Formats: sequence, C-alpha cells, structure tokens
Amino acid sequence: MASLTISDLYKSFGAVEVLKGIDLSIEDGGFLVLVGPSGCGKSTLLNTIAGLEEITSGEIMIGDNSVAGLHPSKRNIAMVFQSYALYPNMTVSQNISFGMEMQGIDKDERSKAVDKVADTLQISELLDRKPSQLSGGQRQRVAMGRAIVREPEVFLFDEPLSNLDAKLRIDMRTEIKRLHQRLGSTIIYVTHDQIEAMTLATKIAVLKDGCIQQYGSPYEIYNNPSNMFVANFMGAPSMNLIEGQVKKVGNSIEFQMTSSSGENVSLPVSDVKGLESYIDKLVVCGIRPEAITDLELLTNNSNSEVVEKELLVDVVEPAGSDTFAILELGGKQVVARLNGNSRVSAGEKIKLIFNLSQTVFFDKKTEERIR
Amino acid sequence: MKLNALQESNINKSRMSRTLIYIVLFVFVIYYLLPLYVMMINSFKHLDDIRSGGMLNLPSIWTLDPWKSAWSSAQIGIDPSGLKPYLWNSILMVVPAVFISTVLGSLNGYVLTKWQFRGHGVVFGLLLLACFIPFQVVLIPMAKILGLLGLAGTTSGLILVHVVYGLGFTTLFFRNYYAAFPTEIVKAAQIDGAGFFRIFWRVLLPSSGPIIVVTVIWQFTNIWNDFLFGASFADFDSIPMTIALNNLVNSSTGVKEYNVHFAGAILAALPTLIVYIVSGRYFVRGLMAGAVKG
Repeated sequence: MASLTISDLYKSFGAVEVLKGIDLSIEDGGFLVLVGPSGCGKSTLLNTIAGLEEITSGEIMIGDNSVAGLHPSKRNIAMVFQSYALYPNMTVSQNISFGMEMQGIDKDERSKAVDKVADTLQISELLDRKPSQLSGGQRQRVAMGRAIVREPEVFLFDEPLSNLDAKLRIDMRTEIKRLHQRLGSTIIYVTHDQIEAMTLATKIAVLKDGCIQQYGSPYEIYNNPSNMFVANFMGAPSMNLIEGQVKKVGNSIEFQMTSSSGENVSLPVSDVKGLESYIDKLVVCGIRPEAITDLELLTNNSNSEVVEKELLVDVVEPAGSDTFAILELGGKQVVARLNGNSRVSAGEKIKLIFNLSQTVFFDKKTEERIR
Repeated sequence: MKLNALQESNINKSRMSRTLIYIVLFVFVIYYLLPLYVMMINSFKHLDDIRSGGMLNLPSIWTLDPWKSAWSSAQIGIDPSGLKPYLWNSILMVVPAVFISTVLGSLNGYVLTKWQFRGHGVVFGLLLLACFIPFQVVLIPMAKILGLLGLAGTTSGLILVHVVYGLGFTTLFFRNYYAAFPTEIVKAAQIDGAGFFRIFWRVLLPSSGPIIVVTVIWQFTNIWNDFLFGASFADFDSIPMTIALNNLVNSSTGVKEYNVHFAGAILAALPTLIVYIVSGRYFVRGLMAGAVKG
C-alpha cells in the first residue's frame, strides 16, 4: 500500500498536448476517481501512472519513490482494463498466475496464491475455463483476480464496468467498493460515469481537456462545484444552470430570472459576497434538482433558507421514487425533483420550494464560481 | 386460408430456386473436375490406349507403369531419374522458405501493430508494394545479389528469393490479423512483466492459428508452384519439381509419353493438394476472420 503523488505532469503526442500540468495526490488507502468526458485525458493519465505511456515532463511518485523510467512491471501496480484483456489462450488460473510466472515464482506458491484469490472472488469453479467460456461479469472478476494476486501498492482501473450491462454494473460497483474496504489498498479509477465516481471515490478529480477542473471529496464536488463544467457534469439529472440578473433591492441582493409565462421570479441572495460586483449584470445560477422541490420532500433542516414560488410545469416525468417536473426559467429547461407520490400534471401551476442554501453562482463569461 | 396458400407458393418458389442453384453448381463441379478426371484416367492407361482416342474413356487395361516411370525412370533433361530427386529438391526449398517467411511475417505484423514506431506506416506501405512488383522486374537485380552473396544456383539462394518475395504477403496477413488483436492484452502482459518476445510467444502466437494456416497454405502453394525463379536461379542440383516437370513434358526427343506426363503433373501437384485438403477448412476460417475484422 502506498500513496500516489503526481506533480506538474505534462504529456503530448507529437504536437497535441493531452495532459497540461496535472497535480494530484491521494493518500495511502484512498480511492481516487478520475472522471471526465471522453477525450479529456483521463485514460492517458492512468496509462502514464502505469508506465504504458511515457510522460513528457513532471513527476509521478508511488509511495516515496519516483517511478520515472521504471518498466510497468516494476512499479508495483496492477491494472484492470476496460476490455478485461484476459489472455485468450490461457485458462483462468493461468491468466491469474501469468505475472507470477514471469517473476519466476515456483509452481506450488503460484497455485496457492491463485486459490486464495479465487476464493476471495468466488471464481474457484472457473479456474480451468478459458476466457471465451465466461460471462462478462465472470471475466471482470478474473481480471480483478489477476490484479489482486500481484498484491500491488496501487490498483489502476480503466473504466472496468463500462462493458457490463446496467444491472451487473451496479452489482460489480458494490463489489469493487467492498474489495477496497477489505484490502484497504490505494485505487485509481477512471470512468466517464459520474454516478460511479460519486459512489466509489474518497476523492474525485474532474478532468476536461487535459486539465483538472476540480479535485476534492465527492461531497465537495457535488455541493461546491468550482465551475459550470463540474456543476453540469456531476449529478443526474445534472445541476440546473439558469441565467438571470443580479439586482439590488433595498439593502439586499436578489437574483432575477424570467419564467415561461414572462413574469419575474426572484430569489434573495444572502451570503455570496462576490455577487456585489455583479449588480445589474447577467450571471448563471446553479441549483440542483433536489433543491427545487415540493413541500413534502423538503427535509426539515432548520438552517436551510427556503423561498416558495408558484410556477408552471411543462412536462412531468415520473421515475418511481421521484417525480421530475420540467419547467422553464431564464430561457432554460429546469428540472425540479418532487415526491414520487406527487400528482402534478403538465400545464399545472404548482408551488415549489427553492432551497437557497444549496444555490451557487457562476460568472457567465469565465464560467467560474462566484463566491 | 389465403395466408397459407401464399406461404405454400413461397415455399414452392424457394424450392425451385434451390433446385436451380444445385443444378448450376453441379454443372460447375463437373466443369472444374473434368481436367483432373482426364489426367487421372489417362495416367493409368497404356500409351496405345491413349493413342486410340477416347480421352474420357476408362482404361481398357489399368497399369501403374506411367506412375513408376514418372516417379523414378523417366528422362528428365539428360538424366533418366524420374521426378523423385526433384521432389526432394522442392521440399528442401519450400519447407524452410515457408517457415522463415511465416515467422518473419508474424514478427513484422506484431511490431507493426503492437510496437509501432515512427514511420511504421511507410514501412508497411513499402512491404505492401512488394506484393505488387512483377516477378520479371526483380530477376536481374536478384541474380546479381545472389551472385554477390555466393548463393547463385543453390537451394539456399532460392529460399532467400522466396522469403524476400513472400515477406510482403506474410506481413500483410499477420498485420491485419494482429490489428484486430486487442492492444490492451499486450499492455496487460507488459504489466505482468513479459518482454517483447515473451508476449509474442506466449500471448499472440497461440491465438494466431487461423492466420498461420492461411499464410502457410498461401506460401506453400506459391513457392511450390513457382516456375520463373526456379528456372532462373536453380542449378542442376537444386532444380525444383515444377522445372523438372517442364523438362519431362517438353523434351523434344523420343516419343511423347502422355500417360507419363499426366502422372508426373499429378505428382507435382499432389503436395499442394494435400495441404489444401488437410487444412482447407482452417484456410476458409482464417480468410473469413481476416475479412470481417481486418
């Protein structure tokens, strides 16, 4: 087990700069998720940690040692690939023990280690099969077994669940989390699925175009996004980003937006000091769907500041546990999360509660957070 | 009821077209097999039997003499040796040439897909070009190089020629096959600590069965059937089967022993035939794999 520190990492392919100064560190036993849209450089970052791609400049430390120039097999890492990358010609047990065989570990010890791992992952009865005879979930387990048996200091996962069907993906997600808790190992995990990121991580790094947009705990990323990209990317349905004007009314500041029927809807803003310099200018207000809700769903949180507004609902999307009401504010579609038992119908005007303590504001041009 | 009638007529129609297809196929089968039939039948006839006409008739007296003669006593060039020594020459040439060109082709394909270097596309393009250069163009430069290497007129020289000429094709086959082989598996093997040759030997090669069969058949047939290189670069002691057959059939002195010629031609074609029959189904499978994934 070891920590991982990346400082000032650059990577270019020819003239194309893929990673532009990455600084990251994860403590021993942490679960770091790299998340971002495709092409943001997250897989490249993982490959540089593994040593499968050379870095242009910067430093990667595993534990206290720089791994610069070290061969992938000498870095004390193990990697689980998106396609599982099992050796098609070998049986499951040969797949798991191939690494040990390369290290020249003798046969008895190898089969002992294989048995132990197979036991942990409940794949003992599959040991003599070829990968082509396994289902997707079983292949996934074997791929993890091949990683675990190396007893690495850092595990690298490259979108390991994206080839599984939806139900299995959720099961395996739980399994990976359980594995992490049991092994207590450091894990770096790449995904484009923000739910995976939220559920698994102890730390999330959101990447875009080779730069880290925000690095923090899932709670911070979700509740305090540092820019509009992070706000929009994390969460499903994603955060509502509503354009509107900052107005000074008497002594207090208000955020005003227009509803679909043309009337002004204004929310009082209390504790965002940065907004004072934006008076009479357009800003973007970010508000999570669950912060626009009906009365029944409002948690009785005495310190949350709420306002009640009556608004017209365009579309209603029942989803079982919740009902999503879609309305129009500030020229944008806005999603509100209502109680699953709500009997709202489209074209109706309903009372909605805005939870003001969960609103954030962004500069319209720079897309950065106004604090 | 109406639907049933419609279905019935559809079934009838498909039956009709199926019958038609089989008839056409059958005609083609006869058309293709006829030459082989003529060769086989006439190789078991006495010469008089052939002279009396009736190419398609069965022999009036069956005899193995033409085969014996073609194998061990027919006049080839100046020696009454039959085709026997030349078969050995051909095998000595074909087996190493096929082996070396296949091994080199698979290594090329491995490097060109999994260990790409700057300019790998150009290298592959040039190798491809080798597939399209006509034999005749390289004859004189090749003769010069064989002379320089001291390999002129030897079996080793012929092997070299065929390896060089076959490399374009074998590389093409393996490159396309390995291009479809997941690179992540190679990366996983790297992390597991396997080196360049270890990955090739333990991971890639065991999965290359179909394409090896395709390459071997392709190379074997081409090299075995080659005439031009054999005629240009072989000496008395390295003349391959095809040239010997030509010498047998084209001898301008004595009686034309057609029955012996037929037997000799079949003997010369037999090895390729055997290779096809033994591994034909893998050949088709390999070709399909290349077609779908390449």
